[in-house]
Amino acid sequence: MNIIYLLLPLALLLGLGFAVAFLRMVAQGQYDELETPAHRMLLDDEIVPNTVPRKTMR
Amino acid sequence: MTPCMGIGSDTISPGWVGAPTRRICIHCSSPVSERRISSFCCSGCETVFALLQARGLGEYYRIRDRDRGLRKVAPVELSPDSYTQLDDPKFVELYARRSGELLTLKLYLEGVHCAACVWLSEKIGDFVPSVQSARLNLGDSVVEVTIQPSGSFAAVAREYARLGYRPHPVRTEDLDALARRSDRMLLARTGVAGACAGNIMLLAVSLYAGADGPMAEVFRWVSFALSLPVLCFSATPFYRGAWIALRGRQISIDIPIALGIFLGALSSAYNLVAGSPYLYFDSLSSLVFLMLASRYLLRKTQQAATHASRLIHFLTPARVRVIDSQSGSFREIAVDEIHPGDEVEVRAGECIAVDGFVVSGRSSLDNALLTGESKPVTASEGMIVFAGTVNQMGPLRIRATAAGGATRLGRTLRAVQEDLSKKAPIVTFADRIARYFVAAVLVAVAIVFGVGLRSGLDHAVNLALALSIVTCPCAFALATPLALSISMGRCARQGVLIKGVDVIERLSQARSVLFDKTGTLTRGKYEVTGWDPALGLDKDLKLASELAALESCSQHPVAKAIVQRFEPPASERLPTVQEFSEELGWGVLGQVQGHRYEISSRGAQGPLHAASSAVAVWRDGVRLGRIYFGDCLREDSSDVMARLRDLGLSVGIISGDSADAVARVAANLGLSPQEWRAELSPEDKREEAARTPRTVMVGDGANDAGALAAAHVGIAVQGGMEVSLLSADIYVRSPGVGAVGPLVVIARETLKVIRRNFVFSLVYNALGIAGVVAGLVTPLFAAILMPISALTVFLSSLAGTARLRRALGEITR
Repeated sequence: MNIIYLLLPLALLLGLGFAVAFLRMVAQGQYDELETPAHRMLLDDEIVPNTVPRKTMR
Repeated sequence: MTPCMGIGSDTISPGWVGAPTRRICIHCSSPVSERRISSFCCSGCETVFALLQARGLGEYYRIRDRDRGLRKVAPVELSPDSYTQLDDPKFVELYARRSGELLTLKLYLEGVHCAACVWLSEKIGDFVPSVQSARLNLGDSVVEVTIQPSGSFAAVAREYARLGYRPHPVRTEDLDALARRSDRMLLARTGVAGACAGNIMLLAVSLYAGADGPMAEVFRWVSFALSLPVLCFSATPFYRGAWIALRGRQISIDIPIALGIFLGALSSAYNLVAGSPYLYFDSLSSLVFLMLASRYLLRKTQQAATHASRLIHFLTPARVRVIDSQSGSFREIAVDEIHPGDEVEVRAGECIAVDGFVVSGRSSLDNALLTGESKPVTASEGMIVFAGTVNQMGPLRIRATAAGGATRLGRTLRAVQEDLSKKAPIVTFADRIARYFVAAVLVAVAIVFGVGLRSGLDHAVNLALALSIVTCPCAFALATPLALSISMGRCARQGVLIKGVDVIERLSQARSVLFDKTGTLTRGKYEVTGWDPALGLDKDLKLASELAALESCSQHPVAKAIVQRFEPPASERLPTVQEFSEELGWGVLGQVQGHRYEISSRGAQGPLHAASSAVAVWRDGVRLGRIYFGDCLREDSSDVMARLRDLGLSVGIISGDSADAVARVAANLGLSPQEWRAELSPEDKREEAARTPRTVMVGDGANDAGALAAAHVGIAVQGGMEVSLLSADIYVRSPGVGAVGPLVVIARETLKVIRRNFVFSLVYNALGIAGVVAGLVTPLFAAILMPISALTVFLSSLAGTARLRRALGEITR
């Protein structure tokens, strides 16, 4: 079980890394607004020109 | 067809009604009138559709359809505004942010609500080449547009207006930055607490499972180290809250929390050094994490609501056209720069921005929002007019006697602000409970300590410590914020913005509801309500279209109402009108299809059949009959009255309109004469609302603003003036009063959930105390009891009650 003495600090370091990443994200304001990104991810990057809306095709 | 008030079915025919249409507008999905040949409900929507197709942005509809089920698109209203003021150097300096060469402006866009709107509004660069970037914040409906110095914000604003999102510039504020900083700080604290709590729990589990020897020792010290950031950084808001409360000689929920954390940390640290296994680091840090998370949640929900309503406050001041006395030319200036004595021009459809009198021009004025009068008023030379009225017909020249804060509207606004600043926060249910709770805990600790003394000081101290840790009111602290934020958040998603955390509780205490009439219970529009059977307008479509043709030459509200009602389908052309003449205050004359028509007040006297006014129709000198006008009740008004009565609330109407008009509406809604008051000034209304104990005021106009602020709870409905939106506690984003009934239920049920949460947490606390007395309290006991109690409260809040869920479902836009 002596491996714990190695793994424990490693796990804590890993956790610390994520905590620091989180704090940096907070400081950059990535969590300031949570509504729009949820919609924005639905948008495609490419646009098909002149797409006819479904309703007109009836 | 919507029910119009006061149509006696035997005296007046029900009016010409188009068959229910199944076509819906391609752009906004609202029903398309049968009379239109195109597939759009209005020309605004048609323009936007054509615009999008021409620019290859038809993708909008695909994104929107995929994201369906959110909210409906409003029909596009085209605005004639040219937004030239946005390019004024003074304006740019005040509102825009400069970064290097580029300029950034924030615009509040009316009507953005879904992924397709995000997509379209950020595509503004396709329309205006000088745009560098555009980024929309859907929560606030604010888009940040960055343009090159050569570009024009006015062009950007015009394009947004053409797309159907009416833009309003927003001033960047320091206040926002401050709020954002403390938001981020709270989130950082929550995150740190969560990370540490998770790791400590991992270690604690192995300790509980029986780890021993040097490894257990390491685990204990590591969990101590991990708890330090939680205790010293994350938990500081509780220490500060407790300190502030103590200094103010008040009792708040933060005091037992801070006490529990402090004592728990101290005794755990002591036990760590002493080698005793009684460590509470895991429970303490997860408790801090849960409480911070619930506070963050509540804060975010509340902010979303206040932000949306506060934005309106920062819209740009109106612009007015001043006539230069020497040269006679027009100059556009901000309304603040007007001095008494200046002469301004107000075109048809514009809102008058100053108090003053008419110098030249004749028109008809809509006072509905300012005074609550539903009948249009004829304005002629010499008449005194007030800021806030809408000019409906021709251009008017007005000599200003007061502008800005000195106008009647401005004075109302100031009175409202005074009222708002005086409105004392109520002592909430949670505060009251907290007092008893703290007292009870202190007494319990004292008793346990006293009893424990018999078996030695050490034992007594340990017992007292265990008790204060176990009774640390985690579930207690979660009870209110969780239930409130869930209700407020769900309301906000349905377009009902609740601005303060105590509003729900105040609403639950309501005993009566007072309504404004014009625009709130009624549609606030002048409409045709019926006609004499002799006219036969429902069958005689030829006559109907001829009347519509004649009236289409006029801009008078009566004429507009007639055109709106009798306009034939778009496939038919209106007959031509010859020899048209109009006399304001009297009526119109003209030759249509060989007949000489007159629609006027001549011969229009007589019983009004519950309408508010009438005109007579003459053909070739023969009086055919009369057409009646009035302000129609909204569809949901009478349901709401019945609903509120069922809920045990008394209802009433306080209106600025004439007693006749109010009496008619009251009779239609089944109100007794004691339940309504008419011809009230804004001050009377305010007094009435302040005098009635625990009353809810529902209104929309500027004359309601004082009453909204003075009432126990003020609810402003859509379509109202900015003043009323500002002064209200709740802002309903859909027209009509349909949301009021469900709102009362939501408030009461939310309070019920909060009480239930308190009961749960008190039960767990009692269990904890029993455990301490029975000597069962070990760190494991605390580690199990605390999360379970928090989880119970969380689930209880999430589940709500059946009635709460039903009421939330009833509020729809």
